[in-house]
Amino acid sequence: MSVQRFVIIGNGPAANHAADTLRQQFSESRITIFSKDPFRSYRPHLLPDFISGLVKEQEIYFRPYDYYKERDITLRLGQAVVGVDFSRNRLFLEHREVVPFDGLIIATGAKPRIPEKFQLFADMMLTLKTPIDAKMWIQKLLDVESVVIVGGDLTSLSLTKALVKLGKRTRFILTEEAFWPSVLTNEIYKTATDRLERLGIEIVHCRRIRRIARLGENSLEIETDREVIETGALGAFFGLVPDVGFLTKTGLDIDRGILVDEFLKTRFEGVYAAGDCAQVYHPVLRDYWVSIGYENAAFLGRTAALNLAGSHLQVTLKAESILEVGGVKVNTSWWTEF
Amino acid sequence: MANRFASEELTISNRGNLDPTVIYSVDPADFRYMTVNVPCQSACPALTNIPAYIRALYELKFGVSYEINRAVNLLPGTLGRICSRPCELKCRHGETELGAAVNICHVKRAAADLRRPGHAYLTPRFAPAGKSVCVVGSGPAGLAASHDLAIMGFDVTVYESCDEPGGMLRYGIPEFRLPRNILTEEIQNILRLGVSIKTGLQVGVDVTFEYLLSHFDAVLVAAGCYQPMKLGTPGEGLDGVRSGLEFVMDIASGKKISVGKRVLVIGAGFTAFDCSRLALRLGAEDVSICIRGFEEDLRVTSDEVFEAKREGIKIRSLALTKRILGTESAEGIEFLRTRPVERPQGGRRTVEAIPNSEFTIDADTVIVAIGQTPEAINSPGAKSQNGVLIGDRENFQSSSPKLYVTGDYLTGPTTVIESIGNGRKAAERIAEDLAGRKFKEWVIRIQETRITDRDRSWDFIPRLEMPSVLPVKDRFVGEGTVEVETGYNKEQAHQESKRCYLCYLHYEIDVKKCIYCRYCIDNAPRDCIKLVKQINLDEIGAVKELVETTTWSEVNAVVIDNSRCIRCGECVRVCPVDCISVSKVELVERPSTVENEV
Repeated sequence: MSVQRFVIIGNGPAANHAADTLRQQFSESRITIFSKDPFRSYRPHLLPDFISGLVKEQEIYFRPYDYYKERDITLRLGQAVVGVDFSRNRLFLEHREVVPFDGLIIATGAKPRIPEKFQLFADMMLTLKTPIDAKMWIQKLLDVESVVIVGGDLTSLSLTKALVKLGKRTRFILTEEAFWPSVLTNEIYKTATDRLERLGIEIVHCRRIRRIARLGENSLEIETDREVIETGALGAFFGLVPDVGFLTKTGLDIDRGILVDEFLKTRFEGVYAAGDCAQVYHPVLRDYWVSIGYENAAFLGRTAALNLAGSHLQVTLKAESILEVGGVKVNTSWWTEF
Repeated sequence: MANRFASEELTISNRGNLDPTVIYSVDPADFRYMTVNVPCQSACPALTNIPAYIRALYELKFGVSYEINRAVNLLPGTLGRICSRPCELKCRHGETELGAAVNICHVKRAAADLRRPGHAYLTPRFAPAGKSVCVVGSGPAGLAASHDLAIMGFDVTVYESCDEPGGMLRYGIPEFRLPRNILTEEIQNILRLGVSIKTGLQVGVDVTFEYLLSHFDAVLVAAGCYQPMKLGTPGEGLDGVRSGLEFVMDIASGKKISVGKRVLVIGAGFTAFDCSRLALRLGAEDVSICIRGFEEDLRVTSDEVFEAKREGIKIRSLALTKRILGTESAEGIEFLRTRPVERPQGGRRTVEAIPNSEFTIDADTVIVAIGQTPEAINSPGAKSQNGVLIGDRENFQSSSPKLYVTGDYLTGPTTVIESIGNGRKAAERIAEDLAGRKFKEWVIRIQETRITDRDRSWDFIPRLEMPSVLPVKDRFVGEGTVEVETGYNKEQAHQESKRCYLCYLHYEIDVKKCIYCRYCIDNAPRDCIKLVKQINLDEIGAVKELVETTTWSEVNAVVIDNSRCIRCGECVRVCPVDCISVSKVELVERPSTVENEV
């Protein structure tokens, strides 16, 4: 029998734990990770501290290249998958290489969400998901003294702290439209804004943002339903969306993420999805949910790999750990710990 | 084309060298070639010559570009705004590794918007036929049939039950999507061919079919689909529950209507999107479109989904309506969550309800836009059990002599462009039946040409999306009839036109001149030139398969696979012996050369 070829798309915790698990199960198989990002896997929660200078760049990456070499896992960075033919089990890469596979785990994670109504202003907004985003922040903060953050998720709160530490004038807009791992109730609004104010952050009270305009290279104007404010930079945190755009029209069942069964299997034999890009139906919730957070992703990555190897492990979660975020139900293990 | 090479007939290229005039072909193999190799034109139900009109626009001949459209689809300014764009799904530029489809529809609109006022129309007219046809309905199918019948010399009278002509174009499409002056001008252009129209008269009620059949040589029913489909779930009769079609038609007719703050629209087509966007314009604050399937399976364009979301509309997928809740008026909907089911190979994805998955969403207004069917009609001829007149889909005849059926009334709901295509075909059939001869024919026009002057860098120009009114609040001023899409300006249209590969160009290697150097293969942008040991033809002589080989001794020819070719011209530029020829191959309609033959 020829050597089995396993491919993993993505390089986050789900992908890496899937690769490790596959190697434990199959000592001879070929295992390849494809990542569109040109950098190694990293710890996203350290990015705000990287921006504030508290941690060095090398510290944000969590696996040395030797790790992959020792386990004979091929790591192909900066190579985007642009399509998959599931009838012939082939991947198409952006540089037009065609890669066959016998088993596939899709663990592409999520990317920052910019709501459709704000996409017009996307080039004026900074996000924070990758080390490249962090470097853009570092560059920008050399030139500006004030920042407005629109958001409400953990990254935006951590970044806000980092900005205060750097001595920047920091204002925060918490709107219903912004990401928050819960429905934005008056109580949560008050708790969050009190906490932010104690940290020295100004709260911009408004219901919605109407317009954003560029006044100069380092000067933006934001019009809300209450006032017009000027700022040097604008950070946008509307949550994350599964990064599965390249898989549309391939025959996979894609709602927000890839619909998988409780064994993380997709519609296609030998094809699994795990982590932030997968959605599982929850009978108590009566909806599909996405799992976010490092530990969840790692667990799902391992589970997908074991099932691809022939196990029959079911993923179940308690309904109370699942919250609604921007119209999508997510399971998050870290939100309540903040 | 390639089949000529295979059967060792003269290739187009060397024939062209001897005689540079145009060749017309009616060889079925050439028609098959068009289907495979010019995918956009083949995908258009009206067979619009898309590469030709995009090329004309590139040459800044906006009037010519408009006319190439108008010759077959009759309403370019209208279709440039609301066409369902089957062509773009097939555009070669949209193949996985080639980027994104050309914005074909927006280029069409640009031709209409940017042409000089008063440009010349180029419609050949036939001598008067001395016969008359009555068309029932002035929607896209009725208008298209009227246009063609008038062109072919028939006296045409249209009966329209509404106050204004246009059918669904006028009453089923909101003004923010299709300004009425554009539609009126294009309808007027059809009516001025001598078509008389009687509005406000419903055939079968105000005037009988018997009367029409005795006064006209033929009657064509193109009455569309105006019977809204029902959910068949409890609660549908509550106050606050509306049919989507009636909702859109009421607004288009100028009636004053209102909606609640929270609106749920059930449906996955353009009408559902129109209803949701109209609801926002009527003051609704929270509007969702509820679909039982997947967002990617929606029957609307991705632009439409984006614009609707940009206006604040939510799409709630995988939700099947179980019942509408409420005592007197609608208070919400109870849904069942759905999941995909196994589908047959290549079949459409379907979903099923998950047991015990009920959930509720509150609403003040529920709009049901799940499609429509033809209405019962008081006519002679065989009917369906619902009283709908039945017609033959090939020859458009009903079981009653002189009585024909076309458009959505015949087929069930389709798109505007499909209705136009069907209306035109029905007109041709009626004309042939009444006159006993052919009027028009589709032929393949083949002309020797030079290699493309497209620059390879144009293949990497990003697709330019339609500019629209922004910020969004500016769309809602006044009565919310501001046209949302603003159209390309001249520079934008020109830029987008550069993206078209011009697939009507046909590249062919002359095997007698080829020295098998393979420079062309080395310079090809993808696997479009092949080392071939055999060419398999299908039953009509068209190329079915190129059997490739990697063994040099087996190679019998170097062949350009026009279904993979992106017409970059690189092969022609590098060929040391000039053995690659280029011809322009177009599917065109022309007056029939066959006299007295049907």
